[in-house]
Amino acid sequence: MHRRDFLQLATAAGAYAATPTDLPKYKVVTAFKPAPNPGMPGPYPGKAVRVHSNKSVNDATHKIDAPTVKEMLARGMCSLTGAKSERDAWAHFFDSKDVVGIKVNCSGAPKIFSAAEVIGGIVKNLVSLGIPPPNIYLYERFPDQLQSVHYYRAVPAGVNIFAAETTRGSVASYDPKTYVETNFFGEDDTRSNMIRLITERFTKIINVPNMKDHGAAGVTGCLKNIAYGSFSNVARSHNREKTNTLSFIGTLADVEPLRSRTVLQIMDGLRGVWHGGPFSEDPQYRFYPKTMVFGTDPVAIDRLLLDVIENKRKAEGAVSIWDRSMANIKPGVLDKRYNTFIREPGHIEFASQLGLGVYDIKRIAVTDIEV
Amino acid sequence: MTLLLAALLPTLAAGPASSDTVKLPVPKVEYRPNEATASRSPWIDANGWQLLRAPARRYSYDVPSASVAIAALEAFAYGAQAEIRTDGAGTTIFNRVLDFLRGVPEIGDLPILANIGVIDDGSEETGELMNLLTRRNLLYRIVPAPDPHLDLNIRLGSKEYPKSEAGDPSELAQKIRSQLTDEKRLLRVYGSEVVIARLTGDGAHARIHLLNYANRPVKGLRVRVLGTFSNWKVAAYDKPGLKLEDFAAADGATEFSVPEMSTYAVIDLSR
Repeated sequence: MHRRDFLQLATAAGAYAATPTDLPKYKVVTAFKPAPNPGMPGPYPGKAVRVHSNKSVNDATHKIDAPTVKEMLARGMCSLTGAKSERDAWAHFFDSKDVVGIKVNCSGAPKIFSAAEVIGGIVKNLVSLGIPPPNIYLYERFPDQLQSVHYYRAVPAGVNIFAAETTRGSVASYDPKTYVETNFFGEDDTRSNMIRLITERFTKIINVPNMKDHGAAGVTGCLKNIAYGSFSNVARSHNREKTNTLSFIGTLADVEPLRSRTVLQIMDGLRGVWHGGPFSEDPQYRFYPKTMVFGTDPVAIDRLLLDVIENKRKAEGAVSIWDRSMANIKPGVLDKRYNTFIREPGHIEFASQLGLGVYDIKRIAVTDIEV
Repeated sequence: MTLLLAALLPTLAAGPASSDTVKLPVPKVEYRPNEATASRSPWIDANGWQLLRAPARRYSYDVPSASVAIAALEAFAYGAQAEIRTDGAGTTIFNRVLDFLRGVPEIGDLPILANIGVIDDGSEETGELMNLLTRRNLLYRIVPAPDPHLDLNIRLGSKEYPKSEAGDPSELAQKIRSQLTDEKRLLRVYGSEVVIARLTGDGAHARIHLLNYANRPVKGLRVRVLGTFSNWKVAAYDKPGLKLEDFAAADGATEFSVPEMSTYAVIDLSR
């Protein structure tokens, strides 16, 4: 068993308000070594393909236009890879022997979630490469959220739809040998274990987050979806106004084999949440970016997300995601003028210091496509 | 209806409880999802600290049928003599518990294994501290004087643990945990906030009692015990044939998963 203390966190902390002594001490336990070319940041560091279509969502009905989404998916994948056909584009990442996990995001369900049209399109492309449906898994941590989306209607029979915690808090579906140990606030259970399917079954993972605000992390995009959606016992990081999301999100995303096996990021920004996230209880805080972002670099895509959420909040008169004033903290109050926690949008830059991708906006090459 | 639970082999008895028994509260979990508190952790009403404080006393539980199993098994795990009052449905459950306990392997009296010694002055404050230590699986035993073989010795009212700190027993328990350090803890439980463990052993053997105070099964519990053990046996109430999973011994510790447990499981480890 390979163990390593996270000494590099001290280095990673250099660019932030937090000092190394503020950071929790992490112990990462995993038997897995990084792949020669880990999936994150993958073959396209600092690259993002942004596909927008006004036709993709009907603002009034909240409905998605499936043919438009299909085209957005094809154009995005071809542009990212430089392939001439959609099939060739997907073949850059997958072959018929792969067992693929698709990390959906259902925390805003039943209103905001990785759209069934997007997931259905992804699965169709995987099947076209010869991957049998039983070797494809849609996964999430909580069954109530996952079941509310009815993904089974959008994917072929045989595709697995898997929730890790059939009983909330159960660790039965997590790998006891692959975990991050840390004590944030004196909680007795100090371990966060990786979902066992990731360590024992998946050969590749596709990450499909939404474009959402997050009360503790600032925003929730690629990094938070793959990190907090693949480990147990993570909500403990934001039990108090000053959270540990700054360092915990990147730390989890960096754990092998999650980092090496997550080979593709497809951000579903067709529908989004600009306040009150990651949930979507109040419709006034939903919006329609009508955008999908493709890449392999989760940091670069999340860096773009910061501007999307911050600009929308600015336009709506909401408190900035960068605001750290305790005067603006009102836990339990869903009001755009207040935060629940001190937000930590710096978690994205922190993850870049762990080598997960490119944060500097000047070094991120964005290709914009209009459908 | 009155049932008598003797130290190891429970006996059915009739009639009112004798006057010298100590009445115990119903063991249970209170969840506090909407309560504004410093911790969202569920509140456990557990009696282990009382049973340890006066092991020779007789205790009585007055419990509904849903709590008969945890009451009887709590008393068994701590080796206490307890009378249990319940209704007709509870009697059936009690008899099932007895059947199970008769099948638990007899391994003799193994010493209590603990990191912490508590010098018990009999006060309410020390009682509440022991309650918090029990609930957080910070293993202790009551000692008449500081025991140098233990990692920590606690006497409320001493310079290091002034009485004033007893006003916040939760914070005090946290301080004790920090002083002890998690690395030295003889036993850790991961994956549940409602399972309390008791550990006995003699170096070559260890017996771990796991009590689930919730009224629903716990799935996927992970247990870590200091010491390297190669063999295991498990007996679990309402889970015949239960097997431990992902058993591993390395770096001076032994870990295993209990895939699912109802109210109680007892695990015997040997070298």
